[in-house]
Amino acid sequence: MSTLLEYKCPNCAGAIQFDSASQQMECPFCGAGFTMESLQAMDEGLGQEQRELAWNAPEAAWTEGETEGMAVYLCQSCAGEIVADATTAATKCPYCDNPVVMKGQFSGALRPDAVIPFKLDKKAAVAALQKHLMGKRLLPKVFRDQNHLDEVKGIYVPFWLYDADMEAQLRYRTTQLRRWSAGNYNYTETSTFYVYRGGRLSFDRVPVDGSSKMPDDLMESIEPFDWRDAVDFQTAYLAGYLADKYDVDRDESTHRANERIRRSTENAFAKTVTGYASVTPEGGSVNLLGGTVRYALYPVWLLNTTWRGKKFTFAMNGQTGKFVGDLPMDKGAYFRWLAGAAAVAGAVLTGLLLLLM
Amino acid sequence: MMKKIICALLALALTALLALPALAAPPLLVDEAGLLSESEAAALEEKLAALSAQWKNDIVIVTVDSTGGASPEAFADDWFDYGGYGQGESYDGLLLLLDMDTRDWHISTCGGAIDAFTDAGIEFLGKRLIADGLSDGEYAAAFNGFADWCGQFLARAETGRPYDRGSLPRTAGDYAKILLLGLGGGLLIAFLFTGSMKKKLRTVRRKQQAADYLRPGSLQLAYANEQLLFRNVTRTLRNSDTPSSGGGGSTTHKSSSGRSHGGGGGKF
Repeated sequence: MSTLLEYKCPNCAGAIQFDSASQQMECPFCGAGFTMESLQAMDEGLGQEQRELAWNAPEAAWTEGETEGMAVYLCQSCAGEIVADATTAATKCPYCDNPVVMKGQFSGALRPDAVIPFKLDKKAAVAALQKHLMGKRLLPKVFRDQNHLDEVKGIYVPFWLYDADMEAQLRYRTTQLRRWSAGNYNYTETSTFYVYRGGRLSFDRVPVDGSSKMPDDLMESIEPFDWRDAVDFQTAYLAGYLADKYDVDRDESTHRANERIRRSTENAFAKTVTGYASVTPEGGSVNLLGGTVRYALYPVWLLNTTWRGKKFTFAMNGQTGKFVGDLPMDKGAYFRWLAGAAAVAGAVLTGLLLLLM
Repeated sequence: MMKKIICALLALALTALLALPALAAPPLLVDEAGLLSESEAAALEEKLAALSAQWKNDIVIVTVDSTGGASPEAFADDWFDYGGYGQGESYDGLLLLLDMDTRDWHISTCGGAIDAFTDAGIEFLGKRLIADGLSDGEYAAAFNGFADWCGQFLARAETGRPYDRGSLPRTAGDYAKILLLGLGGGLLIAFLFTGSMKKKLRTVRRKQQAADYLRPGSLQLAYANEQLLFRNVTRTLRNSDTPSSGGGGSTTHKSSSGRSHGGGGGKF
């Protein structure tokens, strides 16, 4: 048995969902709007109910890796069976199209600490894709017309957020130059120093994508998210969107966070070494004094298109609108531009050289 | 009687007319060292004569086995002055001397040719002579090339701006260098240009840093010291007065006859 949550409109019992424009829950059927606070109260009531249901669940239902990979849920609206990934936390019922949230995925240790709600809707994502294709001269001309938009998904992607207080002790080898002239000679004095820097530095909420389904480079490319919009997690935000729960755990993600934090720490300290002709880092240590890890859901629009049998994935930051995605290159156009540019630049340069030399 | 005198006078005038050019025009090619075949010599002399007439400057080529101890400069100047070369009142012309004993080449200029052939121009001609095969025994080719260049130099001098430092004529090698540099540079620019266009297609990249998440103002330096390891002093000779840049023109000297000559030479 599953625990599956659907938000019913207290007014007309239709399935309601989160509206990114008004930042509240809205019923698409009767148009009623509900604040998150009022729904939170309702959520708690529902949650208790659900927990009781969960207690009744026979243990035998969860045997032999059934919880791994795929899982089966029942839609509370139409009783249709929803087969979904075990990491799916919110989706739409394929039968009645009602947005559903698998509440069980968020119980216990899996509960996110915070969520940044979607600010941009599906239309904005599709418009951003069109804009993304503009002004790219090497993009095959037919791509814009021929590529087929397979799906546009609004997904709450699980992120591990690392707060870190760092301590660093670093050494640099630097040189200073002094030049002067006396008699028939020019003199250059090179002074070589060891420069030491030590101190502390803090990072807030360095994100690492906790979903193995999401390509890490794609998720890092749409950073940063603005934490000021983050709110306490409520399952109600997920209605109408897809949501994943993490399947890369905290410890696995730590490595990536460390890498980025370490590099930034080194750079921040290197920036304080100024006034030298050359600066070469010579070593030292960067240590974590203390850190906390949080779990949050960030809004991401994912767009999939196919063109000539090849899949292209685009991602848009659902909060800031930053849009990324690699595009195919027209090799013919590339060589035409290369030849054209070489001919023009070559002719101009040769002409200039003939005039000047 | 009268008729006879007139006849005699006419004959005298005619012989004088016929003999004068022969007397006034000593041979423009004197191949004492015997470097050219007869046919080569005849063709070259014809060419020198044509160019000399066209540009009103005697272009003379002299090869000798030895200068008898005289410097190439003095020898070439004297050969020009006492050989009766030079056109017009200022004895316009130039002479290329090849001394096979010391393997010297020397160009002596006189009159208008002094300005037409500047020091830099003569240095350039020397290089062309060697490039055309003077050192390898290709004398005919070198001399023919020299004659052609002389024509070009004199033509340029008529415009009032003779070839000089910074304005020397371009050789095929110069053109090849310019073309190679221009096309190579063009290709490099094109690669940079299309590279930036290509880069626009790639927007998915890993982030190497976490600088976006640095807490503002959280950097606290506990200490910041420097420690001198060592000092090194190197010195380089100041390049005393920079050569050329501007410069140009022709330097002159007086020959033994008292005339002013320009010129220059070198080994081959």
